[in-house]
Amino acid sequence: MAMASSDGKGAMTHLIGWVAQSWMFIAFFIGFFLFWEFSIGFFNVPLYILTPPSMIVTKAWADLPRLFAYTYVTGLETILGYMVAIVIALPLGLAIAFSSILRRTIYPFFVTIEMVPKIAFAPIFISWLGFGLLPKVIIVFLVCFFPIVLNAILAFNSLSEELQRFSRSTGAGVWRTFVKIRLPAALPQCFVGFKYAGLNATVGAAIAEFIGSDQGLGFYIQITTGNMRPELAFAGIFFLTAIGLVLFGIITLAERILIPWHISVRRIQA
Amino acid sequence: MQGLIEFKSVTKTYGAGSSAVHAFGPVSLDIAEGEFISFLGPSGCGKSTLMLMIAGLLEASAGTIRLAGKEVHAPQTDIGIMFQDNTLVPWRTVRGNIELQLEMRGIPVEQHAEHISSLLQSVHLADFADRYPFELSGGMQQRAAFCQAMVHRPKIVLLDEPLGKLDAMTREHIRADLQKLWMQTRSTVIFVTHSIEEAVQLSTKVAVITPRPGKVETVIDIDLPFPRDLKVKGSSAFIRHVREIQEIFHGYGVI
Repeated sequence: MAMASSDGKGAMTHLIGWVAQSWMFIAFFIGFFLFWEFSIGFFNVPLYILTPPSMIVTKAWADLPRLFAYTYVTGLETILGYMVAIVIALPLGLAIAFSSILRRTIYPFFVTIEMVPKIAFAPIFISWLGFGLLPKVIIVFLVCFFPIVLNAILAFNSLSEELQRFSRSTGAGVWRTFVKIRLPAALPQCFVGFKYAGLNATVGAAIAEFIGSDQGLGFYIQITTGNMRPELAFAGIFFLTAIGLVLFGIITLAERILIPWHISVRRIQA
Repeated sequence: MQGLIEFKSVTKTYGAGSSAVHAFGPVSLDIAEGEFISFLGPSGCGKSTLMLMIAGLLEASAGTIRLAGKEVHAPQTDIGIMFQDNTLVPWRTVRGNIELQLEMRGIPVEQHAEHISSLLQSVHLADFADRYPFELSGGMQQRAAFCQAMVHRPKIVLLDEPLGKLDAMTREHIRADLQKLWMQTRSTVIFVTHSIEEAVQLSTKVAVITPRPGKVETVIDIDLPFPRDLKVKGSSAFIRHVREIQEIFHGYGVI
């Protein structure tokens, strides 16, 4: 319905409309970088503390192969950990929502664990599992798992009483009720968890790499900072942000495809 | 004569022991086939609960409910229900929402395409079949919900304050449509409302329900010709019925 006008002309008007609406933001953004660029020289900031954005771009350009290679490493950790979290947390959330035994055992356990900063486990996992891919994937998984599972439980538990009664009055079986009513009704709340987890996934990957690794963007940021090369550290941060943006973009796209009817999606497209 | 729906000393209590709340009862009531009966009472008198018990969606604490002679203990599937908050799902269009009722019952949708169209026609929604609920006004949503409750041709229709959240003009308009539809189908309708005028206008019988603990104070026959248009509503017989019910509620200090 709402995605009908995605031809070239529509996209162009869209872009112009966006610029017209957001010019203040764009101006502020440009102003911020200009201020950064010229204040380094103006205030005599030493280059080993902070470099102007132009220098970040040129130096990063020279180191691009390494940045790309490390983006691949960190990206892989992020995506793998995130996917495993969804694959495990979603069915588990469903099971907890429908099982009174699990709701009285695992659920309070999860709520308690949720209070623990998961990142604090990172050194332990690395000491157990070494410097490779696995401990990073596990840490990303841990960071993403709880928001997804807790939101899934909430999602599958909050079907309105009216719709529950409606389903019962039709005599439909458990499976049909699930496919036609429970699942679509739960998706918006599930996406709250997916998005929150997506925002934190790169944080998990970066910190895991800080603690112990010999490759990846977290490693890169730490090494370059240690070598008094802040411009390269900033380049690393930029690529780390890019991973997060791509992941978030994929989630948002999935949301638009799966729940185009939901208010959160409609509002963006309006 | 035995009614289609029979209540026999039905009571409902919430909780147990000293903190138990006696919601309503005992209620005994016979409803004949083809009747349009309103459950009229103040908020909290248990009229919606009473209605949901017919559908087998709530259990009585004591007493029995019989539907066509059989005791009700589980959800009844040959009933059409319109709930207080409508059950239109936001991910389906108006037509899709009506089809949902059929799909949930495993009834092939294609065979009912024309029936759905004619239902939509009768509630003036033919042009909105492909719209989503959020694109409709409150009144249109209730019209769509009404089609959803009727599409499987139920013999008994339960309407729980279907017009409760609408403005006065929209109510008036939908009431007239509702009456027209009922005159065609002559199904048995239980209509829950707290509007005296609405009850008198639509019903063949009005069950006046007292404040908590709710009891059926009296069942009033509304012996007026259908359709009950403006002329009937202005008649002295109509006004007398309204007055009579007002007196009852006044006696209970509700109005």
